[in-house]
Amino acid sequence: MAERPEDLNLPNAVITRIIKEALPDGVNISKEARSAISRAASVFVLYATSCANNFAVKGKRKTLNAGDVLSAMEEMEFQRFIAPLKESLEVYRREQKGKKEARKDKDKKADSEEQDKSREEEEEEDERMEEEEQNDDEEVDN
Amino acid sequence: PGVAAAPPAEEPGSGSLCAAPLRLARLPLARVKALVKADPDVSLASQEAVFVLARATELFVETIAKDAYVYAQQGKRKTLQRKDLDNAIEAIDEFAFLEGTLD
Repeated sequence: MAERPEDLNLPNAVITRIIKEALPDGVNISKEARSAISRAASVFVLYATSCANNFAVKGKRKTLNAGDVLSAMEEMEFQRFIAPLKESLEVYRREQKGKKEARKDKDKKADSEEQDKSREEEEEEDERMEEEEQNDDEEVDN
Repeated sequence: PGVAAAPPAEEPGSGSLCAAPLRLARLPLARVKALVKADPDVSLASQEAVFVLARATELFVETIAKDAYVYAQQGKRKTLQRKDLDNAIEAIDEFAFLEGTLD
């Protein structure tokens, strides 16, 4: 509880790797620059979260969803992120579905209520996903 | 089994912006989630939301690194320095939210 939000940071090794892969070979990054980018990334998450939350509130929802985050990107003028994010989300959803199917096969008993609840949520999201595919809209709207 | 035909997940370079658009997040979702939870106004975030946030953050890091690098190039340097970042933040509208937050 003693940590301020700005102090929560993301792993340096991962941040460094992402930076290096974005830059041409042979380019280095100073420790100060790397650390500043890492902090910027944390601020980005906080800002995007706050922005996304506004959309959730507008939609009278208590749970922040993927659509809210995409709307936040639009709002923050990072529209060019939206297409690659949607692609990644597709892959992520398929993977989650695959995992769930594997779990269902192993676990035919309805012993955990939590699984059922999350399955319901996923099914709602699947329906929404189908709607989105039909509309083929840039903006994700609930 | 039963999953509709999907484009192969491991195609490198098939995306637009970044190195591995179809790869899952490299940033650990738990850490991203900790940041999300730090916001007192947020009650809950779906797993998908955290995932998209993580991916967006990766894209952001790529973007800001590239934009800052332009300044290093101008200074004929091969090492990205803090001042390059400051220059990028000052010059680029989308980074305005960062002003004053990195010190």
